[in-house]
Amino acid sequence: MDAIRIPPPAELDALDDEHFRQVVRAFLHTHYPEELRNPPKRLHWSENKPWYFKLAEQGWLCPGWPKEFGGLGLSPSKIIILTEEYERYGVARCNDHGIVMLGPLVIKYGTPAQQQQFLPKILTGEHIWCQGYSEPNAGSDLAALRTEAVLDGDHYVVNGQKIWTTLAMDANWIFLLVRTDKTAKKQEGISFLLVDMNTPGITVRPIINLEYHDEFCETFFDNVRVPKENLVGQLNKGWDMAKALLSFERIFLGSPRQSGYALSRLKLLAERMGVYEDAVFQESYVRLRLEFEDLKALYETYVAKLKRGESLGPDVSMLKVIQTELFQKITDCMLEIAGENAGLLEPMEGNRNLNATGQFIQARPASIYGGSNEIQRNIISKNVLGMPG
Amino acid sequence: MSAQLAADDRAESIRMIRDSAAAVAPPGGDTKRIRALRQTLPGFDAAVWRQMGEFGWIGLRAPEALGGAGLGLAELGALAEELGGALAPEPLVAAGISTALLAAAGAKAELASLLAGETLVLTAWQERADTLAAPGTPDASRMFIPFAAGASAFLLPVREGAELALYWQPAGAGLSTEYTYDGGHFGTLQPAPARKLADDIGAVLEQALDDAALATSFYLLGGAERAFAMTLDYLKTRMQFGKVIGTFQALQHRAADLKMQLALFRASVEDAAAVVDAGASGAARQAAISRAKVRAAEGAMLITRQCVQLSGGIGYTDQYDVGLYLRKAMVLANQYGSAGLHRRRFMATAPEGEE
Repeated sequence: MDAIRIPPPAELDALDDEHFRQVVRAFLHTHYPEELRNPPKRLHWSENKPWYFKLAEQGWLCPGWPKEFGGLGLSPSKIIILTEEYERYGVARCNDHGIVMLGPLVIKYGTPAQQQQFLPKILTGEHIWCQGYSEPNAGSDLAALRTEAVLDGDHYVVNGQKIWTTLAMDANWIFLLVRTDKTAKKQEGISFLLVDMNTPGITVRPIINLEYHDEFCETFFDNVRVPKENLVGQLNKGWDMAKALLSFERIFLGSPRQSGYALSRLKLLAERMGVYEDAVFQESYVRLRLEFEDLKALYETYVAKLKRGESLGPDVSMLKVIQTELFQKITDCMLEIAGENAGLLEPMEGNRNLNATGQFIQARPASIYGGSNEIQRNIISKNVLGMPG
Repeated sequence: MSAQLAADDRAESIRMIRDSAAAVAPPGGDTKRIRALRQTLPGFDAAVWRQMGEFGWIGLRAPEALGGAGLGLAELGALAEELGGALAPEPLVAAGISTALLAAAGAKAELASLLAGETLVLTAWQERADTLAAPGTPDASRMFIPFAAGASAFLLPVREGAELALYWQPAGAGLSTEYTYDGGHFGTLQPAPARKLADDIGAVLEQALDDAALATSFYLLGGAERAFAMTLDYLKTRMQFGKVIGTFQALQHRAADLKMQLALFRASVEDAAAVVDAGASGAARQAAISRAKVRAAEGAMLITRQCVQLSGGIGYTDQYDVGLYLRKAMVLANQYGSAGLHRRRFMATAPEGEE
């Protein structure tokens, strides 16, 4: 593995898929910090910035961005390989909202001035972004959002509250969906605004989640003045832009890796608890393994579509539901076989690999974020099956 | 690039097979023929069987040198899926076991007339319920032979020491039949081996039974797809409380769940066919097929059961077609191994993941 040469970024997209996969593996093997593999919690910037800077230094930070903007310009099928290898190695998500969300949006809809102002600073790690979409009364019904931006001279004045702003305490910039026309139909009065978190009037309050972790925040805006050139795209077209960005990456919410990792931990736990050979356990275990194999087969059909250059339809929602609900079933089983250890705050015996409670708790939000599974079922019934109403 | 071309050719040949299936299995089909054949003997149409021979379907997987088309399980699966959607009662899957055995035995004349659809040769291998093992006990009754009343001859595996020999037994004596819930029947045959065809077909039979399990899975997939499509139409047109019932979210989510089960069902059986066609052998082949058959048995039962429920009172009537699919699933879910049998075999054969 060490013999594999890591080619310069510009050459990566020309490699054949298998060679590319080996390069990614070799890179991770050499450079990814061992102690950050499969972290039990979402990492903060203070913990994962060495890895962010390593990726930046290597030129690998933004695999999907075109080369002229400093990305790797990789095809969807190569991005899938890259992601699969990151997942396989247990690479932690970095503070990636700028890389995955904001960057592609500015590339697609931003002015050249906005592109020059913002994209290089994502690549250097100078700007760490967070996402301000959801609000206390606009969750699944996101288009009901009420945080408003009112033009006052050369500035928009922003008032309102965002919630579930992931890792907002680590970010110095936030991209917002704001209401700019209260008279229009709810989807048609929304704009996309970029805000410096150091502007007066912004307050960030961490929310402690069921994991006892402060991954999410509430972010309050009290007469926050934002230069009007920070509006991206056309006024009142923010909803369409945000929606258009739901690209092929939706497939990753259905990646079987999360379930695969949990399944391997279930086996370790069952062995440690002495129930692996038990008939009752085996009955549950075989069903979970079969579900997992079929999920993998389904996932591969979507990967194959992308490799053929096809785009993904609304039916990709099925993968997300199936994956997250399987992940939850596996962690339910972990909790059951862990006995009293299922109540422990820290992993039993201090062993991260025997962390039934951690896996169980981490599985909870999977069916809520990215569009709750109930919303996904609405999408499947209406947009895939064509059911009325 | 040539791999991509080969894949494209493959997709094209599968598309053509699906199109040609419409001759026997009209899309969105008329079930009059299917209904008329229920609880009759032999329960299928000999003219349609001959037509299947003319289309080359009976010999789809047989080697080209022996008059077959030499195609793979993906092609057979696509065909079986179309036939399942139309509930076609002709014995294509069961005859597939015999074509494999006759080809292995080099019985060219017997194979040729079977491939032409002029005869029906069935393999009488099963000695008890829910098994994939053919012990070949010389005097044990052979059970659960589908379409047996239509057979011109039987192939009889018989244990001879370490080997499983193959005998030819002409139809005529020693057969009794029982109807099944879908309107077909099973035969029970008293062995009377007449002529030895081969000394040892144990390994061929084992693989042929697995292939039949997978082809049955595709047949069940076609039925589940069709039952679901009918039910979806019903949900979109049936009015209650002044509304189309498909506007109710409780029913929408049920439909979404069934759609997801169908997606997994298709992915599972098509993946297994790809594994087999890629040349997998031994445990890997068995694990892939067992996985598909578990999915097929459970998926077909779940989906057809739910389709009856979602159709309400009409779903429980014999006149409504959804029930035909439930009854077919009841008969086929356990053929060539129940979900339980295949779960056990999956655990015994599937390698566990890395990490």
